[in-house]
Amino acid sequence: MSLTAARPARGDARILIGSVGVAVAAAIVWEIASHLSFVIPKPLATLGALGRDLTDPRYLADLRETLLAALGAFAVATFGGGLVGLGLGLSKVARVVFGPFITVLNGVPKIVLYPVLLPVFHLGYGSKIVMGVLFGLFPVLINVATGVREIPDVYWRLARSVRANRWQTLTHILLPAIRGPLLTGLRLAVSLSLVGVVLSEFFATKRGLGRVVLQSYSGGDYADMMSTILLLIAISFVLSLLLWRLERRVR
Amino acid sequence: MTGEDAPAGGVALADVRVEFAARDSDGPVVAVDGVTQEIPARGFVSVVGPSGCGKSTLLSVIAGLRTATSGKVEIGGRTVSGPDRDVGVMFQEDSTLPWKNVTDNVRFPLQIAHVSRTEQAERAQDAIDLVGLGGFERRYPAELSGGMRQRVALARTLAMRPSVLLMDEPFAALDQQTRLLLGAEVRRIWGETHQTVLFVTHDISEAILLSQQVWVMSYRPGTIIDVVDVDLPEDRDSAVVATPRFNELQNRIWESLRTESMRGFAQENQVRA
Amino acid sequence: MSVRAPEAASRTAGRAAARRPRGRRRPGSGLASAGATVALIVIAGVVAEAGARGGWWAPDVLPAPSDILPATAQIVGSAEFWPDAVRTGMELVLSCVFGVAAGLLVGLGFWKAPGVGRVFEPYLVSFYAVPLVLFYPISIVLIGINQWSVIVLASVMTAIPMTLNTWMGLRAVPPVYLKLAASIRCSRAQTLFRVALPAAAPYVFAGLRLGVVYALIGTVAMEFTTAQAGLGYQIRYLYESFDAVGMYAYILVIVAISVLLTAVLEIAERLLMRRRNA
Repeated sequence: MSLTAARPARGDARILIGSVGVAVAAAIVWEIASHLSFVIPKPLATLGALGRDLTDPRYLADLRETLLAALGAFAVATFGGGLVGLGLGLSKVARVVFGPFITVLNGVPKIVLYPVLLPVFHLGYGSKIVMGVLFGLFPVLINVATGVREIPDVYWRLARSVRANRWQTLTHILLPAIRGPLLTGLRLAVSLSLVGVVLSEFFATKRGLGRVVLQSYSGGDYADMMSTILLLIAISFVLSLLLWRLERRVR
Repeated sequence: MTGEDAPAGGVALADVRVEFAARDSDGPVVAVDGVTQEIPARGFVSVVGPSGCGKSTLLSVIAGLRTATSGKVEIGGRTVSGPDRDVGVMFQEDSTLPWKNVTDNVRFPLQIAHVSRTEQAERAQDAIDLVGLGGFERRYPAELSGGMRQRVALARTLAMRPSVLLMDEPFAALDQQTRLLLGAEVRRIWGETHQTVLFVTHDISEAILLSQQVWVMSYRPGTIIDVVDVDLPEDRDSAVVATPRFNELQNRIWESLRTESMRGFAQENQVRA
Repeated sequence: MSVRAPEAASRTAGRAAARRPRGRRRPGSGLASAGATVALIVIAGVVAEAGARGGWWAPDVLPAPSDILPATAQIVGSAEFWPDAVRTGMELVLSCVFGVAAGLLVGLGFWKAPGVGRVFEPYLVSFYAVPLVLFYPISIVLIGINQWSVIVLASVMTAIPMTLNTWMGLRAVPPVYLKLAASIRCSRAQTLFRVALPAAAPYVFAGLRLGVVYALIGTVAMEFTTAQAGLGYQIRYLYESFDAVGMYAYILVIVAISVLLTAVLEIAERLLMRRRNA
């Protein structure tokens, strides 16, 4: 309808204020809760802990290790998941043969595979990255496969009618056509790669924020634990939110 | 389902005006204005007009799905204040429910109205037979063509045995042949049941072919700018389109509509620009 | 917003039922898929057997399937298996029940009050895949090391895709269905239960499938990380006591549960939606 053009902007601002309001309300609930129970650290104490952490070079080294591992895992998950998803989307035979197998793998709690990975990839970056890949791979794979399969037939006919070669078809038809689901997959993969890395750091590792969380937990230093968890959540939340906005724009 | 037991009720519109709250600050949009018309009981009236002229809005008001800003709508002498099971509405969009088979789709409003089970079955079967869907009772909408789904929707509306039938461009999404066929069916069914019918369409020949009277509606604000009595034989069929009288009626309606369509087109584009 | 706008939640379902391609699935392809899947599993088994027996890798990395399978049978038959299985099962069932109920209610609420929904939407889309497992230490601090700290978080993990999908499904209900409901004077409850929810069913189902998988993943992951009982805990325990065969036996049990759940939901959905997407 042509008369509605002016509206979304105003509505969006209100929604944004509301969303920020939710965050403020959560902080207030947290503050109140921290007065009721001694195990809950005070928000300000948590912020203080975060401030101390972020000026501590050892903590920054842990942060760097975690982020690098997550980035590596994300890159591998995107590339591998994209390729496999493309294959599954394009080939009916591949779908029939591997489809249910992948559905099953997707449903397996990846964390239980950690003990399997550890002796194979050893401590340090290897097993973390593999864990991150395992977490991040499937959303990319499944979204790309679904996206490719749902490309309207007329696009393929168009590609043939203009005699596009494989590369042109890929870059001019296929990738733009699946950009929505691809972004969805990437958004999930960013967060999940990070979760996978952090979870694997909960176990046998010498460095990384996952270890920091578990250490502060066992040491009863809840403000420190909370600040690290919040930092991880904030990183993942901001990345995912940015990708989500982008995703909504392209759709 | 016979002519005798179909209840009758005329529709009377008195100075009906409908405004939409505009979403920007330019004040309300007047969709329908100053419509004072009457459909006699058992009459068949079509409304034609350019797209966006408010003809569907007018139908929604009569159906009680939307309230008029001012003015009055009466059906069978009673003022309309909300949807009434005595008024059957058929929509342009496919409204068959995909999780119900044909019979269950047709029975659905009867279940809601707490009609007894035996009567549900009987009335549903009558309606299904009437629209020519006998043999398809157990099929699901996904297994039927668009035209057949609209037949299901028609059967569902008829099964309620309403005294007034409101049809909002019911065949607009169908191809020309199917549309002609279903138009003829509606005319035949009306010949058997004699409900009061208001049929909204943008197709002038469809309007002439089906109805006793055609109301021509202007672009926003939608007012009735011409009322044309269709003095073609009651038992007409599609061959009537070749007659000179049909042509005259068509030309007359097109004359009034043409300027309106142009005006609507210009306005829409202006707002967009 | 367009009716078809797909969202993360149904997207990641792999094949969101609502977007199932037109045309009837050929009867042969289901069988072929099943056959291929069995063949893949057999091949993987043979490779694993050959590798373990042939010394391609150390036996504690991946023991031979011929050792794992009997061990699995023996463990499942033993008395000490069941308390853990029952605990995990209870956690799983309860988190599914709570999560699904909460997701349906909240999704419904968002549909009725779209402004509220849009306010919470950025949090939901970012959190449902994100670090809920990270909250586990917090949850233990708050609730204690018992099954409720697992259940609460697994319920939330189930509820989020359920909420998003229910809401999205209800938003995608064709407006004409609601006009129809109004025109035949459906009450509010009738409109909801007999028109809107059935229309949204494919989305709700996709959410259910995601939610159940998340409940399983969340439950096992949390047991694995810090719990003192449950199947996930056993894997950790056996891993730390270097019992590779026993550990793989438990992993196999969890994979079997996951396969079973996926298959049951898939079959239920096919039966219920049988002719709807014909």
